[in-house]
Amino acid sequence: MSEQSRNAWITKDDPKLVSSKHKDNFEDILEDRRHNSDLRYCSRTRDVPSFRLNKKRTPQQVKEHVLKSDRVQYAVEQVCVETQLPRTEVLTQAASIVDEMAHNLRLGAVRGFAYFLMKVLKQLYQRIYVNEEGVEKVRSLIQDYPVLIMPTHRSYMDFLLMSYVFYHYDLPLPVIAAAMDFMGMKFFGWLLRNCGAFYIRRSFGEDSLYWAVFTEYVQTQICNGDTPIEFYVEGTRSRTSKSYTPKFGMLSAALEPYFKSQVSDIMVIPVSISYDRVLEESLYAYELLGVPKPKESTSGLLKARKILEEDFGNIHITFGEPVSIRKFSDGKVDRSMHSLAPRYIVSLTQEEQSLIRTLGYHMVLVHQHNMVISPWSMVAAVLMQSQQGVTVRSLVHEVDWVKRLASNLGAYIDWPVNESAEAIIRHSLALHPNIVSVGSDDVVTLLQVSPPVAHGRSAQQQQIQQFAVMQNAAQHIMLSLYRNQAIHVFLRPAMVSLAINSCKEEELSLDLLYQKYVFLENVLCRDFVFIPGNTRKDFEHTLATLAHIGVVVVEAGAVVVKKSTNKTTAFLSHMFEPFLLGYWLMCQFLLSSRMQVAAKPLARTQKTLTREMQVLAARLIQEETIRHFEILSLDMANNCLHALFHMGGISKEKRDGVTYMYPNVAKLSTITEQLGTYTAVPPLPAVSINLNTKTVTVNAKL
Amino acid sequence: MAEKENMSKGSDASTTMFCTSRGAASANGSVETKQCAESNGNKVILDTEPPTIPKRRQELLKWNGWGYKDSKFSLNKDGNVEFTGERYRLSGSVMPLLKDWMKSTVGISLDHKTPSQPEIPAANIPLPVKNDEFVAELRKTGIALSDDCQDRLFRSHGHTLHEIFTLREGMFERIPDLAAWPSCHNDVVKIVELAVKHNVVIIPFGGGTSVTSSLECPAWEKRMILSMDTSQMNHILWLDEKNLTVHVEGGIIGQDLERRLAERGFCTGHEPDSMEFSSLGGWVATRASGMKKNIYGNIEDLLVHVKFVTPRGVMEKSCQVPRMSAGPDIHHVIMGSEGTMGVVTEVTLKIRPLPPCKKYGSIVFPSFENGVNCLRDIAGQRCAPASIRLMDNEQFQFGSVLKPETKSLITSFLDGLKKFYVTKLKGFDPLKLAVATLLFEGTKEEVAALEKRVYEIAAQYGGIPGGADNGERGYMLTFVIAYLRDLAFDYYVVAESFETSVPWDRCLDLCQNVKERLHGECKDRGIQFPPYITCRVTQTYDTGACVYFYFGFNYRGIPNPVQVYEDIEGCARDEMLANGGSISHHHGVGKIRKQWLKKTVGDIGVGTMKAMKAYIDPQNIFANNNLMMGDHSKL
Ligand SMILES: Cc1cc2nc3c(=O)[nH]c(=O)nc-3n(C[C@H](O)[C@H](O)[C@H](O)COP(=O)(O)OP(=O)(O)OC[C@H]3O[C@@H](n4cnc5c(N)ncnc54)[C@H](O)[C@@H]3O)c2cc1C
Repeated sequence: MSEQSRNAWITKDDPKLVSSKHKDNFEDILEDRRHNSDLRYCSRTRDVPSFRLNKKRTPQQVKEHVLKSDRVQYAVEQVCVETQLPRTEVLTQAASIVDEMAHNLRLGAVRGFAYFLMKVLKQLYQRIYVNEEGVEKVRSLIQDYPVLIMPTHRSYMDFLLMSYVFYHYDLPLPVIAAAMDFMGMKFFGWLLRNCGAFYIRRSFGEDSLYWAVFTEYVQTQICNGDTPIEFYVEGTRSRTSKSYTPKFGMLSAALEPYFKSQVSDIMVIPVSISYDRVLEESLYAYELLGVPKPKESTSGLLKARKILEEDFGNIHITFGEPVSIRKFSDGKVDRSMHSLAPRYIVSLTQEEQSLIRTLGYHMVLVHQHNMVISPWSMVAAVLMQSQQGVTVRSLVHEVDWVKRLASNLGAYIDWPVNESAEAIIRHSLALHPNIVSVGSDDVVTLLQVSPPVAHGRSAQQQQIQQFAVMQNAAQHIMLSLYRNQAIHVFLRPAMVSLAINSCKEEELSLDLLYQKYVFLENVLCRDFVFIPGNTRKDFEHTLATLAHIGVVVVEAGAVVVKKSTNKTTAFLSHMFEPFLLGYWLMCQFLLSSRMQVAAKPLARTQKTLTREMQVLAARLIQEETIRHFEILSLDMANNCLHALFHMGGISKEKRDGVTYMYPNVAKLSTITEQLGTYTAVPPLPAVSINLNTKTVTVNAKL
Repeated sequence: MAEKENMSKGSDASTTMFCTSRGAASANGSVETKQCAESNGNKVILDTEPPTIPKRRQELLKWNGWGYKDSKFSLNKDGNVEFTGERYRLSGSVMPLLKDWMKSTVGISLDHKTPSQPEIPAANIPLPVKNDEFVAELRKTGIALSDDCQDRLFRSHGHTLHEIFTLREGMFERIPDLAAWPSCHNDVVKIVELAVKHNVVIIPFGGGTSVTSSLECPAWEKRMILSMDTSQMNHILWLDEKNLTVHVEGGIIGQDLERRLAERGFCTGHEPDSMEFSSLGGWVATRASGMKKNIYGNIEDLLVHVKFVTPRGVMEKSCQVPRMSAGPDIHHVIMGSEGTMGVVTEVTLKIRPLPPCKKYGSIVFPSFENGVNCLRDIAGQRCAPASIRLMDNEQFQFGSVLKPETKSLITSFLDGLKKFYVTKLKGFDPLKLAVATLLFEGTKEEVAALEKRVYEIAAQYGGIPGGADNGERGYMLTFVIAYLRDLAFDYYVVAESFETSVPWDRCLDLCQNVKERLHGECKDRGIQFPPYITCRVTQTYDTGACVYFYFGFNYRGIPNPVQVYEDIEGCARDEMLANGGSISHHHGVGKIRKQWLKKTVGDIGVGTMKAMKAYIDPQNIFANNNLMMGDHSKL
C-alpha cells in the first residue's frame, strides 16, 4: 500500500509545469511543424468536411451561375434601359466584373502557399495558439450550415493566418472578401486569388450592375455552402488596434439568403486574433499621423524581408461561440415579408436591417471579449501614463495592479502562471526593442522611431516634419496601439469613473451619473463600439461591476464621490484623457474659426479640418501646453468630427459632390463646455491656422 | 327563415329520374330511425343504396386508428410486417423489408412497444350535457338520434395526430352530447331551427377525416353539443347529362359517389386521398383538393351550386349557371367555412364521362431538383396529366420497402422495365434519385400523345420513364400510409402529414428549408433518434405547387411527444410561411393552424370573416372554434 502514493499517476510533480504546446484551451499549431517535414505536411491528403447539401462546383461554374442568375439578368435589363447600351455590351460588363471579383481557389496553389507561409510563420512567430474546441465546433457546423467566418482585422497577417489554420485543421479553405488593393500586386494578387481571395471594390454605391454581381456572387456560395466565407465586419484593418465600428454591406449581403429563405440558417463564427506584436506597427503609426503608407506592392513585401529577422512573439486565435442567424433573429423579423415579390428584387426590411446592425455590433463586442490580452498591452497602458520614464521595479508593481483590475473586469490575460511578474514584463519589453529600451539604471524609456522612407516628399509631409514633435509622436502612437489592445476592457468603467471624477459635489445621483455616461457614450461612439440602444444596460452592468470590486461606492441611490475617487477611477480616467482632450481641442478649433465669415461659419472639408486641427495640436504639444501625442492622430480627429456630427455639433453640406462641414455654434459650445468638465483643460489662446502658409497664428487677445 | 323549400327542379328530358322508395335504415339499439319527415313527393332520387359506412361506424371502422377494422399492418408469426384483410392490392402481402426499414430510419425496436389502451370504458366518457326541452322537441321530428357513449366518442374527433394519440392513451375533455342523423335537407333545417331556439351547439360531421382538429369540441363549451352526422344524406338526387351536372346530398362519401356515377358512365373526378371516407359536404367545408384536379379541378372548380343551412336560414343561389357576376361569390363564403356557419346539405357538381383510357406511369430523375424543374416546365406548358406527383428520395425508398420481395432498392424498382432504361437507371445514385408518378386519363389517343409529350419534356431534365407499376405503387402508398401510422404508434413513433402551397421559384428552397428546420428542431429538443422526414410535390399549377410532408419521430425518452411534435410542426409552418408558402393548400385551418390565419389574410381579412360569422350565426350555434373564431368567443 505504501508505495501507492497519492501522486502515483503524476509523472512530473510540478504544479507550475506548463506544457508549451498546450496552454489553457489553446494548442500551438507551430510546435509540430518545427519537428516534422514541411513538405510531407503540405502534400498530405486532406479529408475535409463539407456542407451536406452542397452540390460540387468549380470556381468557373460559380462564375457562370452568377451571370445566368435572375438577379444579374434583371440588373442587366435595368442597365440596358437606363443607358440605352446594347444587351451584349452590358453582359460583357457584367462578365468582366465577375472576372475581376472571382476567386479561383485551387488546392494545388494552397499547398504551395501553405508550404511557403509555414516557413514564414515559423520564422516570425514563436507560437500560434488556437483554441481547438472552437475549431472542432467549426468542423461540425460546416457540415450542417453555410458558415461565415468573421475575424478581427488588425494585420494583413489575419487573412493568411486564417487560411493557414483552416489548412492545418483539415477544414475547407475559406474564400475571403478582400479589398482591391491586393489585386494590383502582380504575383501576390494572383496567388491570393488562387488561395481563395475574391476582390471587392471599396465603394460601388450607385453601380447597380456591380451590386447585383457582387450580391449574387456572395450569396450563391452561401446558398450552396461551397466553402466558408470569410470577411471582416470592421471593413478594413484597424490601424489603431481598437475595434472599428462595424460595416454592414458585406454582412447584409451575406445574411440576406437567410432573410429571403434561401437557406434555413447561417452560422456566423467570430474569430479574435491577438498579436503580441503587430507586423505593421510603425506603418500604422505613420499612417495615423498622416504619412501616406507605401502602396502595397510585391517588391514592397519582399523588402519587408528584414522583418523576418525579428521576433513577433505569439499569436492567439480564438474561435468564438457561433451565432445562428435564425436564433439571433428569432421573433424579431418576419421573413414572409418577402413573399410578395421575386427575391432578387425586394430589399431587406427595416427590422432586418436593424437586426443586421445589432448583429454587427454584437460580433465586434464578442471579438473584444475573446481577445487574449498580452502583458505588453498593460505595460503600454502604464507607460502611457508615466511618460517621464519609470523603473522596471515600479513598472512591475503597476502592471501587476492593472492586470488584476483587468481580469476583474473580465479580460483574458496571457499571463503564464509559472513565471514571475518581473520575468514576464522583462520578456515583454524585450519583444519591443523598437519602442522601449531598458537603460542601465533599469529605467524604461521610449525610443525614437525613424519614419519610413517616403516616395517623393509631399508638401504635407514637409509640413508635418516642420515640427520635430512628429518624430517623437510616432513611438507614442505605437505605444498607444498596444494600450488599445486592452482599452475596451476599461472603456465603460472609465466612463463611469470620468463622470464621478468630474463631480464637484459630495454625492452624485445615479440619474445624473447616467446622464453623464450617456454624454460620454455619444462623444466616444466613433472611437469605440457601443451597441445602439444598449446604453442603459451597459451602464447598469458597469456600475454593478465597479461596485462589486469595491471601486465605486453607492449608497442610497447615489455615488459617494469621495469614497469613489481612488487609484482605480483615477487610472481609468487618465487612460481616456487623450481622447477627451483631443475632442475638446477639436471643438475649440472649430469654434475659434467662427469669426471668419460673417453670416455663417466657414464650411470646410473634413480633410482640411483634420489637417488644420493637427497643425494646431502639434503646435500645442511643441509648446508643451498638452502632453498627449495621440491628439495628433488623424483617426481620432475624424472620429471626433463624426461624433460631433452625430451629436448635432456640426452640420454637413454637399458642394459639387464634396462634403463640407461647419459648426453649429450654440450646440458645439455646450458640448465643448461639457467636455471641459471631464478633464483638466489647458488655457487656450484663440488661434487661426493657415495651411497654405503653414502658419499658426495664436491670437492671445480673444 | 327566408325559405325552406326550394328543392325540386323541373324535369328535363335528359335528367335521369329514378323515383324510388327510401329503405328505412336499420333500427339499431339506441339509434332511433325514421324516414325523412318531409314528404318525398317531388324529390327525385337516383339510387337506393345505403351508405357504405353504417351509423354505428365503430362496427366497421377502427375506433382508435385509421380505416377499416380488417385492414392493418401487423407483425406476423415470422416477425415480418403483413397487411391484413382483402380490400387493397397490398392486402395479404408480406413486406419483408419494411421491418428493417423502420428500424433503421426511425430507430424502432421491436422490444419497445406502446400498444393502445384496449378501450375507453363508458365510465371514463364525460356525461352528456342535456338540454331537455331541445331533446324533447327534436324527438318529435323523428330524426334519428343517439346518446350512446361510443357513438358520441366516435364523432368527437378526426384524424389529427393528437386526437388519435388521445384515443390511444387518454380521453377528450369534451365530446358531443348527442349524435343526430338527418336524412335530408329538411331534417337539417329543422335541427338547426331547434338548436337556435334552444341555444344548442351543432358540429357537422361528414366523414370524420379532418386533420386539423376541426371536429373537436371546445373544452369550455357549457351548452349541449349536437354532432350532426350527415352520413345518411347520401343520395344522388338527379343527374343531368345535357348540363353535365349531378345533384347530390352532402353526406355522400367519395367512394360511393364515384362508384355510383361510374355505373352511369360518369365521374366527378374528385379524388382526395381520403375519398374512401370523406364526404362531399366535408370537401366543400374544407376546400378539398383531389389528386386528379389537373383534369377535373379542385372542389371550387367542380361546384356549381350548393345549399347551405345556416342559423339565419338557407343560403343558396337561385340559378345553376357556369359563371355569374353578382358581387363576391357566396360559394366562396361556404367553401372553406369549416363548419363554423352552417351545414352543406345538397350540392350540384360537374361531372365528366368516364375516361376510356387510364394509364399509370413514372419518371425517374437523377435528383429532386431535376424533378421539380421538370414539373414546373410541364405545368408551364399546361400539359400535366390527370395527376403528377414527385416523391423525394426518402419516399421513393419507402415505396420500395412496401414491395413483397426482398430485392435491393434499385433492382426491385427495375423489375419489368425495358433493358434500355435499366442500364441508364443504373447510372443514377439510388440515394439521390427522385421519382415522379403519373396518371393519364382520356381517350387512348389523347393519353398516348400526352405521354409522349411528358416523357419528352422529362428527358430534358434527365428524367427516364420508370414504368407503370412503379407509378401505381406510388399512388397506393398514399392510401396505405394512413394505416402505417397506426403501426408506428405501436412502437413509440408519432407521425403526421402536413402540406402547403408555394410559388415555383421558392418550391425547392421550401422543401429543403423545411426539412432542415425539422431536423434542427428535433436535435434541439433532444430527440435521440433520427426523425423521418420526406416530402412530395403533389399538385402543380401554372404559378406554383402543393408540397406535402410526412414527419415522424421515435419518442422514446421524451415525456410529452405530442406537445413536442406540435411545437416542431409549428416551427415547420413558420418556416413555410417564411419561404413564401401558405398556411395550407387543402387541409384547412381548423384549430391547429389558427395562429397563422391573421398573418395569412391580414387583420381586415380576419375581421371580414368574423363579420360574416357574426351575421350568419349571431348566437354562435356552430361553435366549433375553428378558423376565424376567437378562443372563448362569446355566445
Ligand atoms: C389519410 C387522409 C388523406 C387525406 N387526403 C386529402 C386529400 O387528398 N385532399 C384533401 O383535400 N383533403 C385530404 N384529407 C383531409 C380531409 O379528408 C378533408 O379535409 C375532407 O374534406 C374532410 O371531409 P370529411 O367529410 O371527412 O369532413 P369531417 O372530417 O367530418 O369534417 C371536416 C370539417 O368540415 C365540417 N363539415 C363536415 N361536413 C360538413 C357539412 N356537410 N356541412 C358543413 N360543414 C361540414 C366539419 O364540421 C369539420 O369542421 C385527408 C385526410 C386523411 C386522414
